[in-house]
Amino acid sequence: MFSTKKLSLIILMTAMSLTSSYAMIGIPNVNLMDLFVFISGYLMGAVPGVIVGVLTWLVYGTLNPLGFNLVVLAATCSGESLYGFVGGLAASLGLGADLPSMKVGDKMLWWVNLKFGIIGFFLTFVYDLFTNIISGLIVDIPPLIAIIQGIPFAIAHEVSNFFFFFFGCSALIISIKKLLKGGENL
Amino acid sequence: MSGKSGWMWVSLGLACLLAVTIYFAAYYYEESDRYKRLYERAAADLKRLTMPVNILIDYGNGTRVWYNNTLVPRESTLLKATEIIAEVDYIIGEYGAFVTHINGVGGESNRYWIWYIWNSTENNWSWGPVACDRYILREEDTVAWKYEQF
Repeated sequence: MFSTKKLSLIILMTAMSLTSSYAMIGIPNVNLMDLFVFISGYLMGAVPGVIVGVLTWLVYGTLNPLGFNLVVLAATCSGESLYGFVGGLAASLGLGADLPSMKVGDKMLWWVNLKFGIIGFFLTFVYDLFTNIISGLIVDIPPLIAIIQGIPFAIAHEVSNFFFFFFGCSALIISIKKLLKGGENL
Repeated sequence: MSGKSGWMWVSLGLACLLAVTIYFAAYYYEESDRYKRLYERAAADLKRLTMPVNILIDYGNGTRVWYNNTLVPRESTLLKATEIIAEVDYIIGEYGAFVTHINGVGGESNRYWIWYIWNSTENNWSWGPVACDRYILREEDTVAWKYEQF
């Protein structure tokens, strides 16, 4: 189904996503997980991206000091998989296709970064909206109240992801492609 | 960047800002609503624990200052109520507190601070029946301090 190389990268990205999330657990709603899942989708395609998202949350959502809830786990798994799916979609639409040939001083690089930042923001917006509503329904809070109560966390999540995607996407894509030497053929 | 696509991304960037702005607006609206509810609850508590009284200070030189609807704790004495609205000096005598100065005015020979209570049935001011620290005010009482020559 997947090549050994692709399978290894799926596991590696899941591990990176998990370790970074545990390392940043003290900062509410700010983590690099979403970026790694998006990058996975971008580098390997939508399905592997979705797999990285789901695998990450299966571990992180189960072994989590903040608690476990099956419905929330299902919501976060499906929400997270969106990052992987859109990552794959972005690559297939050619977003940042000429990244390897760009240099730091290149204006086009920052333009591509901005696009990644915006995508990161909107994906997080959808993710927060979805997970806040689901979390609210579980504890019997009206959706609107659940969204309003989650606003400070949502802002932290969305704004931080904007910057993580802005600064992280192109750097990671270029680096991982270089490391894999021909990773585009994954 | 191509023109059309560029504008699309700029618009999306602005939409990001709009989303954050809407978030802030909703958050602060909710916060203001919460503080409004807290204020109303505190005001209700205050109303339950306090009562309004009207206090007149007549400095005897043509200056008369009204402190209408002054909220004072229930069961307050006139002295306590006066201390809420003014700086009061007094001495404790045989019959209770005797006010010597209000807001620095007082101490002249043959001039004293006397307090009165408004008699609403007879529509006139009556002398305070007891010392100001022994008179327990009732809701909507109207009292006056007058600096008078004897």
